[in-house]
Amino acid sequence: MAFLDLIIGPDGWGNLLMQGAAVTVAIAVTTVPFGFGGGLLLAILKGSPNRLLRAGCDAFTTFFRGIPDLLSLFIVYFGLQAALDKVSKLFGESVHIEVSAFVAGVIALSVVAAAYSSEVWVSAISSVPKGQIEAALSLGLTKSQTFRNIVLPQLFRIALPGLGNIWTILLKDTSLISTLAVMDLMRAAFEAARFTRQPLIFLPLAAGIYLIISIVSTIVQSQLERRSNRAYA
Amino acid sequence: MLENLSSFIGLPLLEDNWPRLWSGLLITFEIVITSCSIGFVLAYPLCLARMSKNWVLSKAVLGYVTLFRGTPLLCQLYLVYYGAGQIRPFLTDIGLWTFFREAYFCCLLAFTLNTAAYQSEIFRGALSAVPKGQVEAARALGLSSFAITRHVIFPQALLVAIRPLGNEVIGIIKASALSAIVTLPDLMGATRTVYSHTFDFQIYLYCALIYLALTETIRRVLLVVEARYSRHLHVTASAAVAAPKQRWGRARQVTPQTP
Amino acid sequence: MNSTKFAALLGLAALMAAGTAQAKDWKTVRVGMDATYAPFESVNPKGEIVGWEVEYGNLLCAKMKVTCTYQNQDWDGIIPSLLANKFDVILSSMNITAARAQKVLFSDMYVATPPAFSTTASNKSNDISPAALKGKTIGTQSSTIHSNYLEKFYKDSVIKTYPTQDEPNQDLASGRIDYVMGDVIVTQDFIDKHGNGCCRVVAAIKRVPEIHGPGVGAAFRPDDKDLAAMFNKAIAEVDADGSYVTLEKKYFGSLDIRGK
Repeated sequence: MAFLDLIIGPDGWGNLLMQGAAVTVAIAVTTVPFGFGGGLLLAILKGSPNRLLRAGCDAFTTFFRGIPDLLSLFIVYFGLQAALDKVSKLFGESVHIEVSAFVAGVIALSVVAAAYSSEVWVSAISSVPKGQIEAALSLGLTKSQTFRNIVLPQLFRIALPGLGNIWTILLKDTSLISTLAVMDLMRAAFEAARFTRQPLIFLPLAAGIYLIISIVSTIVQSQLERRSNRAYA
Repeated sequence: MLENLSSFIGLPLLEDNWPRLWSGLLITFEIVITSCSIGFVLAYPLCLARMSKNWVLSKAVLGYVTLFRGTPLLCQLYLVYYGAGQIRPFLTDIGLWTFFREAYFCCLLAFTLNTAAYQSEIFRGALSAVPKGQVEAARALGLSSFAITRHVIFPQALLVAIRPLGNEVIGIIKASALSAIVTLPDLMGATRTVYSHTFDFQIYLYCALIYLALTETIRRVLLVVEARYSRHLHVTASAAVAAPKQRWGRARQVTPQTP
Repeated sequence: MNSTKFAALLGLAALMAAGTAQAKDWKTVRVGMDATYAPFESVNPKGEIVGWEVEYGNLLCAKMKVTCTYQNQDWDGIIPSLLANKFDVILSSMNITAARAQKVLFSDMYVATPPAFSTTASNKSNDISPAALKGKTIGTQSSTIHSNYLEKFYKDSVIKTYPTQDEPNQDLASGRIDYVMGDVIVTQDFIDKHGNGCCRVVAAIKRVPEIHGPGVGAAFRPDDKDLAAMFNKAIAEVDADGSYVTLEKKYFGSLDIRGK
């Protein structure tokens, strides 16, 4: 069949699509520790006594949460490389920092994910009962000990639903990277549609793959939530 | 007045290109307002269908919502725009080609379908936030189901829905930047054009600031509105509506963001 | 180190870096291209970038004795990517224009093909004057000489700009737009391979120097004068030993892509 040939034939695009799907998942998964970690860092800094630092973090969040993700990615993707380059020039030619499109995409997405997730972390931090913190402090723990030993272990459980929400945003945002340079699922599907003139084969195929990825992640997410809530059931 | 805004600011790049950005901004407004309004109208019946006891109806809407929330809006937009281009003879036959011919309507369709899916879930979350006991009490008092919906469920559900709905509008404003990809000269599209003339990357930063001004304004107005209409709750510190600090916990069910 | 100090250091680094430029020993050259421009550059089902400009690039790189790698980059972001050091040179049928020359450094011209209007097969009119195209919809790729030309001379037409040149061609085929302006070779390639008789080239236009410039050149960061010089030397060598003509024949037959 002609249309199956387009996908799995010798000159078919199925392979590229699967590679693209792998790139999509890889970008999203690689972004998680940096994006969510960055968000947690932002959330902690937002509680810092330094007013300038607090304002800076708020401005960062407000900016990247308030503008189109497409624009955020664009600004970070190009702006960051220019900044890196200036810094690396300082150390001379030997330390030129090479950032691949993949890494640049991950960094750009991490910035967006950090801005989004910092809100989740902030509300998670504030929903740890004040009494626990007071109790820890009165037992003689330092502020940072209190945070590490009392607040942090509870954060993940509280933040999980919100983070799951951001994960799905993140997964879909990877498609925006395709408009920059990366051969992800969206880009592969669009190349295939462009080349074969069959958008109605390849775009629904891509949508189906995205759907599978997002359904799988919903299942994983609810498993995680169930596990982390075991002690509270 | 806004047409001359940039001369007050005195930035040459912005000043030279403001008319183009302004007309882009108007298109962004149009797209956002139209798709959000139609989406809003569609969302309630969708939500009722989703919550109905009819298995087929409920699952059909579930499928629709899952599809539009689980795939990138960019993919949906490409699908509507280039998919329609591929089946032009068919669309011409059934008289729909004049609609799909225009990038503007393709964007509207994609955004509307997308936001209707999200908004219907927002409604569902909001409706289920109204305690069952109240409905039972109202029924016991002999109120008709219309009256219960109108006087008991709606006022409370809408209050719960204000913030997520506002977030959805913000989400669509941000998502509307994608329409530039299918030739619509919205704010993002206008910015790209300006960039292609000037090769000055700063224009993207100005563009970002305009979007930021829009979304921040809405967010802040929303906080005021919400505070105003939930005054009575703060007095009694009722637990029926979650306090702002818990919003993300609830957000998972009712405030998905786009795209 | 606290964050204020770190920020200060970053700022200092940026300041110090602003003035420095260094000679580089080029061993590998990263080429950026918008691979949506068959037959010059496009992506095949294996995901590889192929086309005339890739083979031409290989010829140049062989002369320069450097290894060349090719990356795909969307057109709208191609100059920022070059300036942001994501690659070292643009070989992407980029025409040498005054506006671009303010941001990038161009090599000598190596291709000059005329822009052309195409239209649907059912449209029998051969008049492409601005008056004839008044109120018609013309599609083209954004940030190109073509979009600049249309905006300047076809003010009364509806101009639609797309991220790639391929999309207006698709939209012409599906009847969304009335005309497409694009490079004549790229347009003809689309019509031959994918058109199914949808469309035809109406006429090529004469290049207007202040808009179209002299032709296509390789683009570099302004600092990389040494690399530009290497390319210019290689361009001359590839011309001189006849390999340019051989490649031209392979792709375009008897067609002259140099505008001689």
